[in-house]
Amino acid sequence: MSESQSDGAGLTERLDRLRVEPGNLGVSILDLVAVGVFFLFFLMLVAVGVLSLNYGMYLLGLAGMYGFMIVGLNIQWGYAGLINFSVIAFWGIGAYAAALLTSPGSPHDLLLSPVIALVVAIVAAAIVAVLIGIPTLRLRADYLAIASLGFAEVIRLLFLNEREWTAGSRGISGAPELFEWLPVEPAVRLLSTTASVGTARNTVVILGLLFIGYVLVRRIHRSPWGRVIRTIRADEDLAKALGKNTYMMKMQAFVIGCVLMAVAGWFYMYAFEYLDPGELEPLQTFYVWVALILGGTGSDRGSIVGAVTIVAILEGTRFLNEIDLVVALFEAIPGIALNVSAVRLLLVGLLIILVIRFRPQGILPPKEELIWPGAAPDDSRSQERQATREQRGVDE
Amino acid sequence: MSEATGESRSEPAHVGDDEELTATRGTADVNEIPLRVRNLRKTFGGITAVDNAGFEVERGTMTGLIGPNGAGKSTTFNCITGVHTPDSGVVEFNGTDITGLEPYEVANRGLVRTFQIARELSEMTVLENMLVAPKNQRGEKLWRSVLAREDVNQQEYELVERAWETLDFFDIDHLAEEYAGNLSGGQRKLLELARALLTDPDMLLLDEPFAGVNPTLEERLLEHIHDLRDQGYTFLIVEHDMDLIMQNCSKVIVMHQGNILTEGTPDQVRNNEQVIEAYLGGEV
Repeated sequence: MSESQSDGAGLTERLDRLRVEPGNLGVSILDLVAVGVFFLFFLMLVAVGVLSLNYGMYLLGLAGMYGFMIVGLNIQWGYAGLINFSVIAFWGIGAYAAALLTSPGSPHDLLLSPVIALVVAIVAAAIVAVLIGIPTLRLRADYLAIASLGFAEVIRLLFLNEREWTAGSRGISGAPELFEWLPVEPAVRLLSTTASVGTARNTVVILGLLFIGYVLVRRIHRSPWGRVIRTIRADEDLAKALGKNTYMMKMQAFVIGCVLMAVAGWFYMYAFEYLDPGELEPLQTFYVWVALILGGTGSDRGSIVGAVTIVAILEGTRFLNEIDLVVALFEAIPGIALNVSAVRLLLVGLLIILVIRFRPQGILPPKEELIWPGAAPDDSRSQERQATREQRGVDE
Repeated sequence: MSEATGESRSEPAHVGDDEELTATRGTADVNEIPLRVRNLRKTFGGITAVDNAGFEVERGTMTGLIGPNGAGKSTTFNCITGVHTPDSGVVEFNGTDITGLEPYEVANRGLVRTFQIARELSEMTVLENMLVAPKNQRGEKLWRSVLAREDVNQQEYELVERAWETLDFFDIDHLAEEYAGNLSGGQRKLLELARALLTDPDMLLLDEPFAGVNPTLEERLLEHIHDLRDQGYTFLIVEHDMDLIMQNCSKVIVMHQGNILTEGTPDQVRNNEQVIEAYLGGEV
């Protein structure tokens, strides 16, 4: 391995040095640099005035929320090959747990702490995931796809129609402040005097949770567990023939993924302070799928990139009306009067086609990021082997 | 040898008898006969793929299972490894009844199969391919891979070491860091066998290990298999190629139309009228 790398230019070698992961956290120096550059770029946009700080922080929080859903779906589809079309249903379980237990607008008037809501969201999502997994995970992958598609609608209609319990289409509004003890105010005041402290705190909470979640997910991805899960995706019969309980492991992957989706939903309630069953449209599930595929199926970094990308696409296309060039372009089309915003989805689709055409594995494909630190042969031994191998070559 | 066949074939599937038999057979017997199949029957719809098949495999031997196309070899194989549940009959491994267990449970008891078409994990390196195999890895428990990393790492080092040794034995250690998808067909066959070995099996079931293999590699594979047999591993090999089995196995089981036609030493089988007829397409 080291042999082939030294053949390359000095640049790749220097890049390799940046791939070192301090503390074996699964986050390389290169990743941290990339995140740093991203935040600098963000601050620049704010400084120039393209983005208002409040809206920018809202977008970051949104990206964090999508991040949870995409990382969750990546565990299911990217690692284990499970097709889950009910992402938004598990998100909804989390969101309704938060809304019903903690919101002042909840029909139950419980006003519990958001932490309790988080625990309830996780437990509820896990139980429901197990119940769906029991009949479907023994079957071929397509059965889970069908079952989850139906389940998503069942959950949406349940929240819509059980009015005494969920307030139905009237929705639930209002939410307590999330983690008020977090001292974000001084930092926010450094940047702006008018920015909302609540939004900033929410953003810090979700990005912090996402970081913790990401580090844990990296661990399991590269562990022997992750190795078996990837084997299941590639060839389940082989995994069974090697003595792996594939049903159990698929169940674990499915449950973890669903729990992460529920965390995303839980956060939503505190960021938006309003929830109704209209949010549970199936379209949302497909945004998450699109983001995962754009970012790179099976890739942890790709999931995060996918989250930023999908927020940029969904929110960025809202402002096409304000860019004169684009409007002029559309007005040049004879015969139809087009509102640019109305073709947002069309543009989203076009972008996806372009990415898939030119980079079918996604923006950051998963190869190279999977070697568990313990599994990588340590240098002295591999040099020893190299030497004996060469010796053997000479003998022959 | 032929007595045993006669007995198991003529016996009706009767639970009470089976229990008695298991009870009376001593442990010494179990030590000699790791795999025992009795009265195996499997139908698919109206087609009877395996009908009352029974045989035994002795420890430390290479036993060949041959037969023309459609004889029921693969179905028998699948019933033993848990892919199919037989309609009736008993599969015993190391003295315990493993009939109808899940494939992974069968494998975990030390009865491990390989596939006719080598199933390499092309997205993983050869070394990673090998590391999937060992049983009961600590890091396969989720909580351990998150919380007890030192534990996992330590075992991982040991496994990596064992994987290297096994790769070395098969002379493919120079490919350890190559993606398995880049291997040649022959190297994949070697990897398949090496990986199966890393599960610590008592007995290996090889499904047409020589299909699509050139003569040189065939020689190499056979050499490895003979070496392993000398180390005490037991092999049951399903093959199409009569000559290959005749030359290398100490015992040959011939299947035809779902039945065990005959079994015995290669010489006995070679001179058996029925076998010749079955292979040459005579009336049976």
